[in-house]
Amino acid sequence: MKRIGTLIRTFPLELVFWIGALIGILLIDPYGAQHFTLCPLENLGFHWCPGCGLGRAMSLLTKGDIAASWSMHPLAMFAFGAIGYRIFELIRHLKTTNHYG
Amino acid sequence: MANVLRHLPELEGMELGYIQGILKNMDDDQANLFAQVYRARRKDNQMVLILCLLGFFGFAGLHRFILGQVGLGILYIFTLGLCFIGTIVDLVNYKSLAYEFNIKVAHETLSMMSNNSNFFPNVNPNTSGNA
Repeated sequence: MKRIGTLIRTFPLELVFWIGALIGILLIDPYGAQHFTLCPLENLGFHWCPGCGLGRAMSLLTKGDIAASWSMHPLAMFAFGAIGYRIFELIRHLKTTNHYG
Repeated sequence: MANVLRHLPELEGMELGYIQGILKNMDDDQANLFAQVYRARRKDNQMVLILCLLGFFGFAGLHRFILGQVGLGILYIFTLGLCFIGTIVDLVNYKSLAYEFNIKVAHETLSMMSNNSNFFPNVNPNTSGNA
């Protein structure tokens, strides 16, 4: 029981989230008309928010369509940079944050 | 051997254990100095939680700025916390975010103390950890 508790506390939730998000973005099809959405705002009935299209824009960027990506959401390149750097930092600190010495 | 509960009684959980690991190499004077600097610089995890909750009112990502992650802070502010998804994940994860930042601060404090050893003559360089 104690070991399960330690496992939960040291589980790198944020790292898994970012890597899962990037894998999910590689899997979506940006050219499809209708798509399944996880977005909680969309499911609440709002049809626009400032982050709309970021996933599709990042997906277009991986397919090399930079112009379409920019018109979908201009922050796609920046998002790749920021998330990539965060994943790098999280992996770098994985050892030192769990134990001292 | 200094006791963390005497010098930094407000710590809890994993942070408590980690700082105890640092303080066990120090005497009481060194631990006192360390505690003063560390207390002034660490971030309380409740502040991270409250700033994270502001994300639901349109000011997402303030906790990322506070923790020094400016890139992600800008991304969160311009996308409403990645359409609330990022905000919700950070709401679950706020303790690890604060913990990670505080560990970094503790290592900075340690290396500062060993650099200023003429200020504080008997700091043992072996206590500076592996920052």
